[in-house]
Amino acid sequence: MVLKAFFPTCCASADSGLLVGRWVPEQSSAVVLAVVHFPFIPIQVKELLAQVQQASRVGVAVLGTWCHRRQESEESLGHFLEGLSAIFSHEPWLQLCRERGSKFWSCKATHRQVPASPGAPGQDQVMLIFYDQRKVLLSQLHPPAALPDHQAGDATASAGGLAAVFDTVARSEVLFRSDQFDEGPVRLSHWQSEGVEASILVELAKQASGPICLLLACLLSLISAASTSRVFKLWPLSFIWSKLSTCEQLRHRLGQLTLIFSTQKAENPAQLMRKANMLVSVFLDVALGLALLSWLHGKDRIGQLADALVPVADHVAEELQHLLQWLMGAPAGLKMNRALDQVLGRFFLYHIHLWINIIALLTFHIYCFYVYGARLYCMKICGLSSLWRLFRGKKWNVLRQRVDSCSYDLDQLFIGTLLFTILVFLLPTTALYYLVFTLLRLLVVTVQGLIHLLVDLVNSLPLYSLGLRLCRPYRLAAGVKFRVLEHEAGRPLRLLMQINPLPYSRVVHTYRLPSCGCHPKHSWGSLCRKLFFGELIYPWRQRGDKQD
Amino acid sequence: MYAQPVTNTKEARWQKILYERQPFPDNYVDRRFLEELRKNIYARKYQYWAVVFESSVVVQQLCSVCVFVVIWWYMDEGLLAPHWLFGTGLASSLIGYVLFDLIDGGEGRKKSRRTRWADLKSALVFITFTYGFSPVLKTLTESVSTDTIYAMSVFMLLGHLIFFDYGANAAIVSSTLSLNMAIFASVCLASRLPRSLHAFIMVTFAIQIFALWPMLQKKLKACTPRSYVGVTLLFAFSALGGLLSISAVGAILFALLLLSISCLCPFYLIRLQLFKENIHGPWDEAEIKEDLSRFLS
Repeated sequence: MVLKAFFPTCCASADSGLLVGRWVPEQSSAVVLAVVHFPFIPIQVKELLAQVQQASRVGVAVLGTWCHRRQESEESLGHFLEGLSAIFSHEPWLQLCRERGSKFWSCKATHRQVPASPGAPGQDQVMLIFYDQRKVLLSQLHPPAALPDHQAGDATASAGGLAAVFDTVARSEVLFRSDQFDEGPVRLSHWQSEGVEASILVELAKQASGPICLLLACLLSLISAASTSRVFKLWPLSFIWSKLSTCEQLRHRLGQLTLIFSTQKAENPAQLMRKANMLVSVFLDVALGLALLSWLHGKDRIGQLADALVPVADHVAEELQHLLQWLMGAPAGLKMNRALDQVLGRFFLYHIHLWINIIALLTFHIYCFYVYGARLYCMKICGLSSLWRLFRGKKWNVLRQRVDSCSYDLDQLFIGTLLFTILVFLLPTTALYYLVFTLLRLLVVTVQGLIHLLVDLVNSLPLYSLGLRLCRPYRLAAGVKFRVLEHEAGRPLRLLMQINPLPYSRVVHTYRLPSCGCHPKHSWGSLCRKLFFGELIYPWRQRGDKQD
Repeated sequence: MYAQPVTNTKEARWQKILYERQPFPDNYVDRRFLEELRKNIYARKYQYWAVVFESSVVVQQLCSVCVFVVIWWYMDEGLLAPHWLFGTGLASSLIGYVLFDLIDGGEGRKKSRRTRWADLKSALVFITFTYGFSPVLKTLTESVSTDTIYAMSVFMLLGHLIFFDYGANAAIVSSTLSLNMAIFASVCLASRLPRSLHAFIMVTFAIQIFALWPMLQKKLKACTPRSYVGVTLLFAFSALGGLLSISAVGAILFALLLLSISCLCPFYLIRLQLFKENIHGPWDEAEIKEDLSRFLS
């Protein structure tokens, strides 16, 4: 059986001592967390380990010995180290030894009990895997989409084993809390932070963040309480609230801010990441808004924009007028009913004048036209379909939800057929108007949808996670890969564990923020069906709502 | 199992049953099988003149279409004043209405429980709607080319003739569809007329000739067959006369058509009946003769 020993790279140059870490029996791997240096008192070491175990709930124990030979004359040390296995009993007992220079390593794992088969020596084969303690401590392992790279033959650890390693290192953070300036009873060697003093500003900010959060949370709860008060629930206001996208956005952001400044501590890393993402998103939103505002205010751009927009609106209206006049002629040589054509054309032209005079809105007339056209077309299609059933002597049975044959009276038949004939001959004219205005409307809806999409993107993009992925790729780990450092006969296989960063697509997928827009998804088929039957495509309103 | 029938093969006679094992192959039948063959049990014997009499329904309908087209042509050419047609139509409708009740002594009216008030209402609805829509009808097909209108009308009138209820019990028959197609054709043709009054009167005339006239015919045929034959002959001759005033060739062709339908076709039907050879036997599909509707619900 191959025994895997995970060894932190920062301890490679440490003085001789004891290996402290955790033994994972399921994976038969030993995760070395730190090295205890000489001299030490065994009772103190045991006390320290007990403290760490209590604080981190990780089964930390002395795994074996570490021997770093700097001079030739340290033969006696080896014997002394071997004797230590009697004091700290562990099964198996790991003996790691580094020769002078970094070239030669030796590693043994001995079982003190008598092995089952007397012929075999009480030793296991050991595989030495180096890992960067800091990176593993800080990184967050994501459930791997694919297994780690199989670069070194059988030197693979299953996903569960890796998770155990990452979990062990992350949980025993207590062990690393002492920095290099601390003088405890036991000298340890492991990865160390730069020390508390190094970043006094950060510490100050940390201390101040609690009260600030409390204050802001109070303020926000006040605002949200005000916004949910009864005054805003009255009919016209609530209607306006639901229609204006600014209000939607404000509400969305308010919810986010409440979550950010809630005084509860984030329970797990995912929630922390979510909060950070929201914070960055809010900051970006504010920054973009301020940039736009300053751009608009600088050099009187609002005036320029207004000056530019009014001619555009006029131009759109003019173009519409031309289009209508074209439609009132004989567009594309189509057979149209002249009288209906003239009526429709004049009706729409009248509206252009009306809208130009009252509100110079950019596309409101198009929307109105679209609604009129769609309603007219829808009525026609419905009428035609039911009259076509009458024409064939059938009718729609509402109770059974099917078409039944029916005997009509003579006058019913006559009027139905008369109307049917009229509608059939008028259909092309209405359909053309409907088609043209639907296309215009679709154009406007597409532009609106693009803007919505942009806002949604700003709202839902996990910027903090992306930034983290860009600058500190090891913080978001998807898995690990191993690089072979040494592979010689008679010597332990030495591997270097490197962290595979999470792909950007998965970062976005995992940390996406919920966006405020809840657009009902429409398939293309249903959209085409709606277009054909002349139902309004936007704003999407369900038929059931209207009946209520 | 197998040895037992072998001993008495000679005694064992084949039976047309499935519930007993018999020493014969599955597809075996013996000589008695064809004894049950029957031929032409449902074939009817027709009398020539009876068939000719029945064919008069088709002749009548052909003549109706012909008269309608002729009248439309006269109107389109401006040879027929709309007032005159309206007056004639109104008078003949009134006469027909009176006859309709006189023929069977008002029994049909009692059976259908239709009041005179309902008749008046129907008539008012016709007149009002047609009159109200006639300006719309006038401009309706302005942009559609005349050829399209003619083709559409021809197809619609053909459909009217095909789907008309001549008394046959077939799936294709649909008097509703037939009437609707005729009205559609009349609206199409009426929209080509010079003025909206013309259109109004044309559509009214279409109602009279396609909806009301067949009803009267049916009643005439059922109650007074002799007068029905007379009416049919008169109607056919008047249609022929009208057609003759437009085109002699058309009139001759139409006369030949009518003759072949009323005389030649019955003759051929009876002749071809002799060659009929329908076989019936135990292999026929099962036919349920009893009324099983009480089990269904």
